Amino acid sequence: MIQRVRVTSPQTRLAQRRGADAMGRLSHLAGRPPIPSSAIDLVAAERALRRQRRLAAGTAAALAVALAALLTAAAVVPGRLGWAVLFFAPYPVLLVLAAVHVRRAERVEADHDTDGP
Amino acid sequence: MLGLAAIMLVLIASVVIGVWGVRAARSTPDFLVASRSIVPGWNALAIAGEYVSAASVLGLAGLLVKNGVGAMWYAVGFTAGYVLVAALVAGPMRRSGAYTVPDFAEYRLGSPRIRRMCGLVVLVIMLLYLLPQFKAAGVVLELVSGIPYWIGVIGAGLVVSSTIAVGGMRSATYVQAFHYIVKLVFIAGPAIVLIVLAGTDRREAALATTGPDPDWARPLLDLDGSGHSVLATVSVLVATTLGAMGLPHVVMRFHTVAGARAARRVAVSVIVLLSLFYLFPIVYGLLGRIVVPNPEETDVVPVLVPEAIAPGTVGAVLTALVAAGAFAAFLSTSSGLLLALAGGLSHDLFGGSLSKLRLGVLAGTALAVVLSLPAADVDINVLVGWAFAVAASTFCPLLTLGIWWRGLTATGATAGLLVGAASSTGAALASVILDLPPGTWSILLAQPALWTVPLAFATMAAASRPGSVPDWAGEAVLRLHVPGRYSTGDTGPIRVRDRGAASR
Repeated sequence: MIQRVRVTSPQTRLAQRRGADAMGRLSHLAGRPPIPSSAIDLVAAERALRRQRRLAAGTAAALAVALAALLTAAAVVPGRLGWAVLFFAPYPVLLVLAAVHVRRAERVEADHDTDGP
Repeated sequence: MLGLAAIMLVLIASVVIGVWGVRAARSTPDFLVASRSIVPGWNALAIAGEYVSAASVLGLAGLLVKNGVGAMWYAVGFTAGYVLVAALVAGPMRRSGAYTVPDFAEYRLGSPRIRRMCGLVVLVIMLLYLLPQFKAAGVVLELVSGIPYWIGVIGAGLVVSSTIAVGGMRSATYVQAFHYIVKLVFIAGPAIVLIVLAGTDRREAALATTGPDPDWARPLLDLDGSGHSVLATVSVLVATTLGAMGLPHVVMRFHTVAGARAARRVAVSVIVLLSLFYLFPIVYGLLGRIVVPNPEETDVVPVLVPEAIAPGTVGAVLTALVAAGAFAAFLSTSSGLLLALAGGLSHDLFGGSLSKLRLGVLAGTALAVVLSLPAADVDINVLVGWAFAVAASTFCPLLTLGIWWRGLTATGATAGLLVGAASSTGAALASVILDLPPGTWSILLAQPALWTVPLAFATMAAASRPGSVPDWAGEAVLRLHVPGRYSTGDTGPIRVRDRGAASR
C-alpha cells in the first residue's frame, strides 16, 4: 500500500517543533512520552541498560589507560621515537577502541531487540 | 592577492554548493530517506569539516613552533573525544530525539529552568570558540592581502552571516563536507610539496630532536616553562577529550543521522578523518621552526612557511592554497558555531521563532566580531582550550550522568552546571587577570579541567537527592538505551513524538 508521507527537512521539522515548544508543548517530552509504558519490556530494557553501561564504562576506562600509557611512553622514550609515539601512535589506538566499542554495543542491541529483525 | 583570490573561490564554491544542496534535497521524493542514503559517509565528512577549525589548521602548527612538539597533544585530545562520543553519547542522544543539549536536559529532567541554564552555557562555550575563529580569519586576511585586522574580522563576520542566510543552513551537510575536503587537500597538498622543496638540510634540521632547547623537543606540553609538563599535558588531555563530548554543535550534528546505530558509526568515521588531517600540522610546525623560527604572530605560521621555503611563484601559489584552507576552516566552524549559538539565543533563552533564529545569527556574529577585536593577541589554541574546558566541566557531566544514571535530578544538574561553569570560566579569567608566575598554580588556572571536571561531576551527584527522583525518570533513561521500534531515533526520527504532539 502506498502511503503518503509529508516531506519536511529536519530543519523545518525542528523549526515547527520549536515554534510549538514555545507554547509549552514540550511537556509531553518531560518524562511523559506518548508511548505507553506497557509497550516496553521493562525487565529486558533494564538488562540492556546495565550491559551497555558496563560496556561504556569499560571503554572509558580503557581510553584513560591508553592515554596514560601513551603519555608515559612519550615522556620516557627519547629522541625521534618519542616524537613518533606522540605524532602517530595515538590514532590507531583510538580507532581500535572506538570500533571495538561500537561492535560490542551493536551486539548487545541485537540481543535485546525485542522487535525482531 | 593570489591568496585573496583563492579565498574568494572557496567562498563562491561554498555558496554554490549550498544552493545546489538545497535543490538536491528538494528534488528527492522523501528528504528523510534521501538523507539516510547519504549517511554515514557525508555526515562523518560534515562533522569533521565543522570540527577541524582554525585551531587545528593554524593554531596547532603555531603552538608547535612556540611551545614545542607537545602541542600535538591537543590533536590527540580532539580526536580521543570521539571515542567517548561513540561510547557515551552518540547513540542515546540520537534516541532521545532531542536536537540540542538544552532540549535533552529538558527531556531528561523535565524542567524548563534547566533549559535556560543550558542555553546560557551554550552561549559561553560558543563565544569562546567563535573568537579564535574570527581572529584566524582576521590575521590570515591581513597576511595575504594587507587588509587591516579589524576590517578583516568585520568582513569575515558579514560573509559568514550572509552565507548562512543564503542557504547554508539547509545544506550545511554538503557545504561542511566540502570544507573538510578543501582543508585536507589545501593543507596536505602544499605540505607534501614543501617537504620535497625543503631539501635535505632543512628536512634534517626539522627532524633534529636535539637542539639548544631540550624542553621544546620533549613530546610533552608545557605552559611557559612551568616545569610541570606532565601535569599540564594531563590537564589539556582531560579538557580536550571530555570537552569534545560536551560541545553543543558536535552533539547537534548527530541528530542528522538515521539512527542510534548510525550515530555511533559516524563517530568512528570521524576518528579516521581527524587522524588523517592531524598528520599535516606536524609538517608545518616542524618546518616552520626552521624557516620562520620567531614569527611575530604564531598563529599564521602555516601561511608563512611556503614563501620562506620556496620564494617566487611556487611559494605564492602554495601560500594561496594554505590561506584558502585556513579560511575554509574559519567558514565551516564559525557557521556551525553560529547556528548553535543562534539556536541557544533564540530558542532556549528567548523561546523564539525562525525569524528570531536569523536575528540570533546576526546578534551572535556581532558579539563575536566585537569581542575578537581585542583578542588579537591571544593564541587561538588558548581560547579554544578554554571552550573545551568549559564544555568538559558542564555538558560532559550533564550528558554522562543524564544518560547513564537515573538518579540525576534537576536540582543536582543545576548545581553541577553552576559550579562547573563558574569554576572553569573563573579559573580562565583569573589566569588572565592574575598572571601568576609559571608553576603548578598557573597550570591549574590556565588549564582548569583537571579539577573543575571532577568537581562538577561530584556536585551533580551529591546535589541529586535520592528522594526527589521523579517516578518517570527511570523510564526516560531506559528509553535512551532500548533498541528497536520504541526508541524514537531508530524509527524515522521524531515521528513517534510528532504523532503524540499532533493529537494534542
